Amino acid sequence: MINIFNTKIIYFLIILILGLQIFIYFYNQNSLTKSFSQKNITVENFSSVVLSNSGITKIGSEKLNKIDDNKIYLEGESYLENKEYKIYGNNISINLIDEISSSEDSVKVINSMGTLKAKGFKNIDYDGKIIFFGEVEFVIDN
Amino acid sequence: MMVKLFFLEKLNLSLIIKTLYLFFFVIFFSNTNSESYVKAGESLIWDSENQSYTANGSVEFKNDEFVAFADRMIANYIKQDKDEIFTIVELFENVVIEFKDEIFRGNYAIYTRDDNIIKLTGNVSIESPTRLLKGNELIADIDNNKRILNSANNESLVEVLLENNADN
Repeated sequence: MINIFNTKIIYFLIILILGLQIFIYFYNQNSLTKSFSQKNITVENFSSVVLSNSGITKIGSEKLNKIDDNKIYLEGESYLENKEYKIYGNNISINLIDEISSSEDSVKVINSMGTLKAKGFKNIDYDGKIIFFGEVEFVIDN
Repeated sequence: MMVKLFFLEKLNLSLIIKTLYLFFFVIFFSNTNSESYVKAGESLIWDSENQSYTANGSVEFKNDEFVAFADRMIANYIKQDKDEIFTIVELFENVVIEFKDEIFRGNYAIYTRDDNIIKLTGNVSIESPTRLLKGNELIADIDNNKRILNSANNESLVEVLLENNADN
């Protein structure tokens, strides 16, 4: 009698644990903060290199979303790093064909002159220009 | 004896606190005074191909020599070894430059690092604690501590004695 009762409890616990696992699995499937019409590919804790006008740029983020062959979206904490600058920001869009990256979130940039903080940026790589938006503070190293 | 020791310890503690305070005070102010920066209210464009920075909207620029304010700024730089150094700084509209106890005002200013000269044009004024001079062009030679104020004609060169010097 006791054995049957124990077996039922064990079965119940196994089912409960499996149920919990299924719940956790589906609960962790966070939807993207931006929605895109095209089918995308998502990679977490991503880092890679991109060859552009300014040379080799290392990119990385918490989550990389490939929108299409030309566009990627770095979700969460992200960075772009090459021989001229290091850009640390959040939610950065990159157009590989136009060589433009941009973000509307706070950004911190370190280059050979100093450290810059701004509310957002647009990096036009083929033109060698980075436009920083909002209040900008650029502290120059002496 | 105990009282004497107590006061001696208190004195030592007080001295240590004052020394530490002085130490941190010197470090803090030596850092804040030597800090160079560019602040912009609207945007800043870094053009690495033309080696320039363009700042827009309530611009504030500070270097070792002066603090400048303007609506817009274009600063050109050169690369020396691994560092970038500003060589020419241009300021546009509502230009105010604070240099020690002097204030220069104008519509346009250009600072060249090589000769350490600031040149201002358009409704220029130079204000010191004792006087206010107005003209069309001001050349401030920082290294030689020389100021040249030019005007289109003699009438447009105005000298105003400020209140705190009027009694002398």
